[in-house]
Amino acid sequence: MEDLYMLTRKNLLSLSLSALFGIMTIYSQSVNAANGVTLYTPYTNISVPPGESIDYTIDVINNSNTIQNVVISLTGVPETWNYIIKSGGWNIKQLSILPREKKSLSLKVEVPLKVDKGNYRFRVLAGRFNALPLTINVSEQGTFKTEFTTSQANMQGHAKSKFTYKAALKNRTADKQLYSLRAQAPRGWKVDFKPDNRQATSVEIEANNSKDITIEIDPPDNLKAGSYKMPVSARTSSTSADLELEVVITGSYEMELTTPTGLLSTSITAGNDKRVGLLVKNTGSTELRDVNLSSSAPSGWEVVFEPKKIDKLEAGQNTEVFAELKADKKAIAGDYVTSITARTPEVTSKVSLRVSVKTPMFWGWVGILVITIAAGSIYYLFRKFGRR
Amino acid sequence: MGSLYTAVTNIGNAVKPNDPAGTFFFLKLFTISDGTMPSFFVFVSFLGPLLGISLGFDSINSEQSKGTLSRILSHPIPRDYIINAKFTGALFVVSVMFFALSFLVLGIGIMVIGIPPTAEEFVRIILFTMLSIIYVAFWLNLSILFSVRFKQAATSALAGIAVWLFFTIFYRIIVNLITKVLEPSKLASPRQLFLHEKLKFGLKQIMPNELFNEATNILLVPSVRSLGPLTMEQIQGAIPGPLPLGQSVLLIWPQVTGLIAATVICFVLSYIAFMRREIRSR
Repeated sequence: MEDLYMLTRKNLLSLSLSALFGIMTIYSQSVNAANGVTLYTPYTNISVPPGESIDYTIDVINNSNTIQNVVISLTGVPETWNYIIKSGGWNIKQLSILPREKKSLSLKVEVPLKVDKGNYRFRVLAGRFNALPLTINVSEQGTFKTEFTTSQANMQGHAKSKFTYKAALKNRTADKQLYSLRAQAPRGWKVDFKPDNRQATSVEIEANNSKDITIEIDPPDNLKAGSYKMPVSARTSSTSADLELEVVITGSYEMELTTPTGLLSTSITAGNDKRVGLLVKNTGSTELRDVNLSSSAPSGWEVVFEPKKIDKLEAGQNTEVFAELKADKKAIAGDYVTSITARTPEVTSKVSLRVSVKTPMFWGWVGILVITIAAGSIYYLFRKFGRR
Repeated sequence: MGSLYTAVTNIGNAVKPNDPAGTFFFLKLFTISDGTMPSFFVFVSFLGPLLGISLGFDSINSEQSKGTLSRILSHPIPRDYIINAKFTGALFVVSVMFFALSFLVLGIGIMVIGIPPTAEEFVRIILFTMLSIIYVAFWLNLSILFSVRFKQAATSALAGIAVWLFFTIFYRIIVNLITKVLEPSKLASPRQLFLHEKLKFGLKQIMPNELFNEATNILLVPSVRSLGPLTMEQIQGAIPGPLPLGQSVLLIWPQVTGLIAATVICFVLSYIAFMRREIRSR
């Protein structure tokens, strides 16, 4: 019950308010033009970009006590602009209004794409009675071309990463255009255009529309550090737009530690030495400096590197290093793991060597000696006591 | 023959709990047991001494008490031929029996599992068989020694069994007793603890059955890398993996040497004793 009451209260309030405003509007208009016909529209100065169209709703008010027949026309509209006057669903030239009544008409003004920036003034005439001055402010310099822009044309990363640019392709021409998307990619580079997240080589854009295009650039993996320019273009037979993207490659630090043969196992007799060849490869795109070699071996083991340190290693080069392994005397037979690490401040590479330990043959020979002595003593006994 | 039968039935039991994983799968035939019956190598280590003792305990003294020894010696044979023949004859029997048993197990194993052993496994099995023969030869020589020493067959048999029992049961108890008394406190230095473990291990090495068990363990379970106590330093950085055959053999070489030496010593003693004794008719 209360809800309903509230509702009616609210409705009543809004109704009375709108009624009040309506009366006030009519009153204020009628003060200006007490006789004849008045034209009225609320938005008399509109700011638009080129290529837009503006819909005005104009009230034609008859202030007199007789029926008024009014010819509606526009003056001062630039030649290249189009406009349409409509009322009640018809294109009209003339409007007839009952005494003390008003009639709405709609005026559609199309601002062309190729237009200079500035204010354009024109007047809507209602026969001989009244003129309504209107102003259109074209907010920017109009063009008749294609625009290919991106907010971020420069990207940085290492050679193995992918660079993704977000670009916008705007068709500022009067026609629908089919653009072919091209990049002048040097050999080894890969440039993909992805309108709507799907790879494509051409894109169709309606007049005065735009499309977001993602451009993915995959530079060659072994590219040297530096800044590279990648011009991309969207072109049709009549119009074209270029965009220059910039890829800044930072040097990548990569290193691989392995053995010349790739074999990561070796065998060693407990207490003895073994020389193991290692290969340090610079697989990155910049030179490596101060490569230190270190090891983590089982306790009691010794690993000595020769050389201990590599001062400089050019990109793509490898160098051989020797590791002198010395197994603990007490090491038991079987497999042990020794890991060797090559380290620069930028990158490390680790390799695990499986070292099979063999026990020295010394005690084996002692055992054989013991058995020989035993056999010899039997032989001696046979010689001494035999055949008696 | 009786032990052959039991061993074969035992293998039948032992095959069942095998899991098909494992690198030295075939060797598991010899080591795996389902709990109701001991595995093959335990059987050998248990029955081998008894076999050796039973083959040798009456070799000399029963001949003497029956009066056949002087009759043999009346023929133109060198005297040492008798004791040599007593030993080699019994050893031959034992060898044939063990090889037959091993190959029987091998054959049944192949039949049951359908996987032939690898070359290394085969060599390990052969070495294990030879080791078993050496082990039995030790007991055989010991009982021949007793049979030379004691006039009564029963005495030598009892002496042999007594030695066997001493090593299998009582010596272990004595070792435990000694090590318990000498056990260092928990706060002792690692070096002391290590020495204590070393002593415990060393005392056990006198037992021929312990030597045999260790050697078979290494031979038949290649992933065992060491006998005796190990320090942390030795274990650190080690990764599990089977030992190659050569390393396994090298590892058990002291044990094998010990067994062979003990066998030879027993033989030498009985040889000297036999050659020097006076043989008369009953």
